[in-house]
Amino acid sequence: MLNGIIALFIFLITLFLIFSEKMHRTVAGLLGAGLMLVAGKLLGFYDEVQAVQAIDLSTLGLLLGMMVLVVVLEPTGFFEYIAILAAKISKGRAMRLLILLGTVTTILSMFLDNVTTVILIAPVTILICELLGFNPSPFLIAEALLSDTGGIATLIGDPPNVLIAAAANLTFNDFLTHSLPIVVVAWFTALFLLRFLFKNEMQENPENIEGLLELDPKDVLKDPKNAKKVLVVLALAIILFFLEELLHITPAFIAMGAATITLIWVRPDLRESLARIEWSVLVFFISLFVMIGGLESTGILETLAGSVMQIASSNPMLFGVLLLWLVAGLSAFLDNIPITIAFIPVIQSLAASGVNVNAYWWALAFGAGLGGNGTIIGSTANIIVASLSERTRHPITVKIWNKRGLPVMLATCLVTTILFIIAFPYLSR
Amino acid sequence: MILLNCMKKQVISIQPETSINEAAATFVRFHIGTLPVLDAQKKLVGILQIRDLVSLVLPDFVNMLQNIDYVLDFGAAEARKPDSELLAKPVSEIMQPPVYADQDCSLLRAAALIKKHNLQDLPVVDENNRLVGIASMVDIGTSYLAHWN
Repeated sequence: MLNGIIALFIFLITLFLIFSEKMHRTVAGLLGAGLMLVAGKLLGFYDEVQAVQAIDLSTLGLLLGMMVLVVVLEPTGFFEYIAILAAKISKGRAMRLLILLGTVTTILSMFLDNVTTVILIAPVTILICELLGFNPSPFLIAEALLSDTGGIATLIGDPPNVLIAAAANLTFNDFLTHSLPIVVVAWFTALFLLRFLFKNEMQENPENIEGLLELDPKDVLKDPKNAKKVLVVLALAIILFFLEELLHITPAFIAMGAATITLIWVRPDLRESLARIEWSVLVFFISLFVMIGGLESTGILETLAGSVMQIASSNPMLFGVLLLWLVAGLSAFLDNIPITIAFIPVIQSLAASGVNVNAYWWALAFGAGLGGNGTIIGSTANIIVASLSERTRHPITVKIWNKRGLPVMLATCLVTTILFIIAFPYLSR
Repeated sequence: MILLNCMKKQVISIQPETSINEAAATFVRFHIGTLPVLDAQKKLVGILQIRDLVSLVLPDFVNMLQNIDYVLDFGAAEARKPDSELLAKPVSEIMQPPVYADQDCSLLRAAALIKKHNLQDLPVVDENNRLVGIASMVDIGTSYLAHWN
């Protein structure tokens, strides 16, 4: 018990350091992992061999593989090309532009890292809005909210999904059959609400459409040949994700395979490409895995799960709903990756005590994904659009976000809760 | 070859409290690119370049996108004017800290200062930091090139 309390203390201190942003989250994670190992070795509950085993290589492989695809695709200008194409199709009509840019950002971020997607699409959005004489804020907010929502639909759409899939042995197809239908409804709810919230802004007529008409998407696509190559590999990878059960291959194998083929086929400057990989995220994951491994080995989580189990077994559906809202509430203010990592062992230990936890994994995914929409700091995409907008004449303030993002978060969580309750027997299977 | 011999001695200048609007009118009236900002003692306290005013209306995307060559028509941004509130603000809020040279500064050093600080004109001051002239890259360059032949 003492071991468990010490391990839990180290875990909570590390979470505090991560969330208080007193130091970089990766450094805080490494510190926590180190402390856990020191405590584990001194008290005899955890050692290096166990720590290495606790690192989930399939999660890391999947993330790294998809990151490589993105860093090779990024300099080709593909993201900007798609955004400008969408803008031209909108013919400068505000609502159509908002829907098209939101859809494009969502679809891209369902399969690729949504931080990169938003970083690359947002400046082009500002360009398009300035050419048309629109305030870019509604469009930027919509892109962040819709891409965060859409990201929940696929296994590779958001890092928490990758973590949940690895912990619960969920496949790409499980996400498509369980998460996607609910997310589609939530996404349209968000879009419908955004339409209503930005009613006034969307009534504006473009001051001048010439600038938009003069844009040629082809000029933006700097390297069409390599863009095509990466997209072909990505398409192949997505097909293989569908077939992962049939072929008995893991998502990590598919992603790393796709990354290798891309590097061979495109031959980018390897040093430059590798330098753009977000290594700090990968190291952060490793450190959290090591830390959670230590926590698990003390058995404290089973004790904690015991107390939660009473609610879970007396009313499983209510527990799922509470979990969804608790995770969403936390994700609105805190990074959803460590939150997911903190909840995974709790659900795992519930499962170990014989509770059917299948639906809880989905509650965790929905909460972690939708919660981020609630505040300006809720997700990385929100932070990116807000900080980019600070460099424009129409900065997105906390007040603006609370008026637009928070209602979207509450409405999507509510709709998802209703669907979660209706589909509870199916999600529990 | 020193700055004293090639600089213009009659310099149009403004005060820190001059409004942005008045400064814009001064640029237009005298068809110049740089306005030294002088305090009551005629000491150089800043410089205002025409580009500082143009950048007030330059679209935000110009600073965000790596490449804007494909933007052939600036559309609605073309007609933009700063609002009257901004135009009424004193130039002290947007002027740059002064880069200057002494009268006996060599021409090559003066040219290097202009290049390094991305200036159009280099203010010239006396030992008391009072403005005595201004020299453009053309003034400095032609004076310098004259010695090549």
